[in-house]
Amino acid sequence: MNFFEVIRVVAWKDLLCEVRSRETISSMFFFALIVILVFSFSFSMDQQAAHELIAGILWVAFAFTGIIGLGKSFSAELQNDCLEYLQICPAPKGAIYLGKVAANLLFIVTAEVILFPMFVIFFNLDVVEDLPLLLLIFFLATLGLSTVGTLFSAMTVHIRAREVMLPILLLPLAVPVMIAAVEATRGALNGNPLALYRHWIDLLVVFDVVFTVVSFWLVDLILDS
Amino acid sequence: MLNAIIRKLQLYKGWIGAAGGLCLGVGLYFGLVASPPDYYQGEVVRIMYVHVPLAHTSLLGYTVLFLGSCWYLWTRDPVVDNLCHAAAGLSTFFTAVALITGSIWAKPTWNTWWTWDARLVSFAVLFLILVGYLMLRTFIDDPEREARYAAVLAIVGFVDLPIVHFSVEWWRTLHQPLSISMRGVSISREILTPLVLMGIGFSLLFAYMLIVRTQLLYLSSLLRAKKGRLLSQVHLAKVQP
Amino acid sequence: MVAIRGLHISKSYGHYRILEDLSFEIAAGECYALFGPNGAGKTTLLRILATLHRPSAGQLEILGRDAIREREAVREGLLLLAHGSHLYDELNAVENLNFAMALRAAAPTSREVKVALDQVGIGAFAELKVRYFSAGMKKRLAMAKVLLARPKVLLMDEPYTSLDEAGMVIMNRYIQDVVKEGASVVMATHDRVKSAEVAHRAGILRQGALHPLTREDLKTHELF
Repeated sequence: MNFFEVIRVVAWKDLLCEVRSRETISSMFFFALIVILVFSFSFSMDQQAAHELIAGILWVAFAFTGIIGLGKSFSAELQNDCLEYLQICPAPKGAIYLGKVAANLLFIVTAEVILFPMFVIFFNLDVVEDLPLLLLIFFLATLGLSTVGTLFSAMTVHIRAREVMLPILLLPLAVPVMIAAVEATRGALNGNPLALYRHWIDLLVVFDVVFTVVSFWLVDLILDS
Repeated sequence: MLNAIIRKLQLYKGWIGAAGGLCLGVGLYFGLVASPPDYYQGEVVRIMYVHVPLAHTSLLGYTVLFLGSCWYLWTRDPVVDNLCHAAAGLSTFFTAVALITGSIWAKPTWNTWWTWDARLVSFAVLFLILVGYLMLRTFIDDPEREARYAAVLAIVGFVDLPIVHFSVEWWRTLHQPLSISMRGVSISREILTPLVLMGIGFSLLFAYMLIVRTQLLYLSSLLRAKKGRLLSQVHLAKVQP
Repeated sequence: MVAIRGLHISKSYGHYRILEDLSFEIAAGECYALFGPNGAGKTTLLRILATLHRPSAGQLEILGRDAIREREAVREGLLLLAHGSHLYDELNAVENLNFAMALRAAAPTSREVKVALDQVGIGAFAELKVRYFSAGMKKRLAMAKVLLARPKVLLMDEPYTSLDEAGMVIMNRYIQDVVKEGASVVMATHDRVKSAEVAHRAGILRQGALHPLTREDLKTHELF
């Protein structure tokens, strides 16, 4: 049993289950759509204001959408007590954690990539030049949310008021990710030179590294008795 | 060995509390009466003598929570867990009062109840993390799991808080220079003395309240265990028809 | 050789003390049937043996290792068949088995998986999503898991529920096979007749304590 094999197997299993049920991705997608619609009604009078705030609106939608996905990551393991098997199997819990982070990252970024064109349409954005850079920002920020989010998802799965506890715990801690994501996205959307907002991307990388390590190290305490 | 020190300390809790009260009393006298009013802010600056030490004490409390959580995970001693729970509750209270006094101070001096300054946002996030911690503890039934999960949350939060502060500071300074500073350019002895006294006073007060509250939590968990033993005897007796 | 050794194990869940000072030994190649009224703590004890819970007090040794301190090492030889089937509804039988085995050191070939499924009688349903399996079929899939994992300690929580007559026969046959290869089996059950066919020893968990039962007890007495 190889450590990386376990990561691959867990991520693949999550992917396969999701592709066949399409439960998580559809709830995420429609939720985000509703958020976009509500925001576009709120700002329909003032196009100028919308343009200023678009990066923020984008990340509010993405954050809450991501939380839905993160919550389902472990609540899906409650069916047939599958979580019990994950707890007592000999595979290292850190590997299981990383597999789930990888799967969550993939789902949420996919949702973001599908939703972004909707934003462009509803808010009349100009054609964005640097799409790969935008994608990188989406990826890094989502990774930041996923590292701590997957840990907290495991923590809150057994708790009463599970769906509300995950955002309550995650969002305050994710403030640096949100700030960095919004600032970097705004820079990229406005076509500013990279040097101006490069440091925000660096912050995202630092956050990702720090919290992947910290969460990986702590996950044994959550998944194990 | 650390356990022995803690248990020794609780014998002196009265003295600690009294010392704290004394420091606060003297500090308040110096702060509210004997020290000079600020050139720009006038009498309003006196709230600084309460707000600033409170803020430092709540950070101290959070550090105690972090260290206690690490200690709990090392020893799994339920008394240490009670200490963590107590520290969290007290820190939440101190943080809330710090935020409120800060807001009260801000209105006449900065003409706003709130601003997106790094320290303020960090404190608001700290408050939210602590409230989340207390909610987590409330919603988990199994005491062993509760202690473990809470400790993990405290550690993650502690690592995150400097990053929060840092990121907000970047955010504000790059948008808008930090035009306001909490204290004057140089700190004269007359201002420093009451500030330090209040700081020591609040810390001693925190220590006192922490010991008392830890004892309370420990006793209540003993009581629950006793009740549990009695109830489980009834329960086991009932199981046999 | 002793496979499982428990010394003065007790477990409290929150306020309630469920298990009180249990000491027991189970040898390799032995099948132990655990009886007890509902709520007596059979499932709790099994979960402690499965290293899912830590006992509140006491020592536990499984396959010669300290099951409390060296849990990862012990888990390789353990398999728990519990109430929940540990199956993912969206995956089919083969995929479920492959996933379960990938999390252990076992890496069965697809041929071995097919053979295992045939042996438990659900070979025809290999490609069917588990969502469409009946409870009995899920139990048989769990038996296929046992065949592939070859655990040294098999823990079963009420293995005979949801099984038809044929299924119960197969179940007992596999328990005997597993025991013959030197594994130990601990099963919590209510079924005296079926378990008597395979169990070497039995005991009843009552009021937090474990009392041994003889074959006579099993046949004649009320178990309460």
